[in-house]
Order: sequence, then structure tokens, then C-alpha cells
Amino acid sequence: MRFLVVDDSSTMRRIIINTLNKLGHQDVLEAGNGREGIERLSNVGSVDLIITDWNMPEMSGIDFIRTLRAMDNHKNLPVLMVTTNAAKDDIVQAMEAGVNHYIVKPFTPDTFKDKIQAAMTK
Amino acid sequence: MEAQMLAVLTRVTKEVFETMVFAPVEALPPCDTLPPASGPGVIGTISFAGSSSGVVSFAASLESAREIAGGMLGMSPAEVQDELPDAVGEITNMIAGSFRTQMADEAGAWTISTPNVTIGSDLSVRHVGAVARTVCPFVFRGHRIFVELVLTDPTRLPHAERQEARAC
Repeated sequence: MRFLVVDDSSTMRRIIINTLNKLGHQDVLEAGNGREGIERLSNVGSVDLIITDWNMPEMSGIDFIRTLRAMDNHKNLPVLMVTTNAAKDDIVQAMEAGVNHYIVKPFTPDTFKDKIQAAMTK
Repeated sequence: MEAQMLAVLTRVTKEVFETMVFAPVEALPPCDTLPPASGPGVIGTISFAGSSSGVVSFAASLESAREIAGGMLGMSPAEVQDELPDAVGEITNMIAGSFRTQMADEAGAWTISTPNVTIGSDLSVRHVGAVARTVCPFVFRGHRIFVELVLTDPTRLPHAERQEARAC
């Protein structure tokens, strides 16, 4: 399975990739913002799960997902958002944009693994 | 309002360290200004704006910051080099972002900035204009680290209720 991790923080990308590796997933692509995420998808065709931050320069996670949902080949791609934005309005906005799963930072490794596995099985 | 904000800031800092650094921190009583830094250190800052406005900052010695980054990344402190600024930025982001979320019911949704990180020696921070500063000190593996709340909205200056400064 192939993953795309979109986050402007190299620290968060590494934490997420380390967790995916521990779950046995080695095929992980990285992008530093939504625009780079679109470029990566254009280059590789598609992935099985996108894990994205919300607040990023150039193109935010919300704009990234809205862009994906407007593309015929990516409109059903599962997306897990990883963010500190957890007010009710934030979650509503994310779900309306097309987020499938949501995890709030900070999180425990077990919580993150559970979310990944839930996202993979749906 | 001050007591609630400081309680939330203390709680979210503890959560961030327990879940993302895998090391607990012990909260010390709040004080009014960061103590003078001696030697190399780091400061991460994030601004917020909305019904209240100000800055949340995180300060630590370089040695402590390397330990924190190593804990987050699964590396030894000695291995942490170029990763340090981003890791400090992310710690600051998680503290400020969780603070924003947990204050949302009381204070509405604030907009927060991306983090800025400064690394240097004998660092000090000055704010121009009327601000109220409150520092939450913590003990991390025997070293003091600091999370500071700076409020720039003069109608919500928390120190207005207090007569005497509290030394860190």
C-alpha cells in the first residue's frame, strides 16, 4: 500500500512515517504543502491513503482536499487529517471539505495506529 | 480569565510532552517574566488573534531542546542537529494549537500563526507596548523549560487583578 504524507513540519512527517513503518508500511511519499501534494499525486497516479496537516503555507490542507475532491480520479481517495484544529467549527469545516478521518494532535502512538487501521479498512 | 487560561496552558503542555515527547513535565507555580537566559537556548513563538490576541512561546536551553526533539523523533539528543528548529516549532505549534482548541468554547476561535523559532545565546524577549506576560515554568528531566502567555489586548490584561510581580 502507498501513502502520501502532507505536512510542512518535517518533524510531523517523520513521526507519521516512523509509525507507518512500524505498522509494516514502507511505501510512503512526502509533500510539504497541498500544492506539492497535488504534484506528487500527478507524478505517481494515486495512493491508498492521504494523511494531511491543516495549516500549511502555499496551499492549506483544507484547500488541498477541496482540490482533490474536484478531480475525477481523486474524489474518493481516503483522507486522514492530523491537526491541532479541534474546535467544533474546525471539524465541521474539515468534514464538509471531504475529510474522511480526523485525529487531533497531540496523540498517542496507539491512537494514531488505530486511526490508520480504521482508515485502511473502510 | 487568567486562571483559566493558565490552567489550560499547563494542561495542554503536559499532554503534549506525555504523548509526543514520551516524557512527563512537572508544572511549577506561574511567574511574570522569563528569567534571564545564560548560554545557548531556543525560543518558539506563535501569535494568535481573535477575541483575545497575543503570543504563546516555548523556551528551553539548547540541551533540553535536543532532548525534547530526540524524544519526538526517536533519536538520541546528540543526533539531533538540523531537525532541532522544526521540532521546536512543532512543539510550540501543538501547545498553542491545543490551547486555542481548548479555549474555543470560552473565547471563540482564534486565528494562529505558523511558528517562528529563534536559536542563539543569552536570549531575551521584549514586547513593545502594553502587554501582560505570564510564564508557566516546568521541570523536564531536571531542567527548567518555560511556556509563556503574552496578552496584547489591554482589556484582558490578567495582571490588572494583581498588585505584586511574581518572580520566576
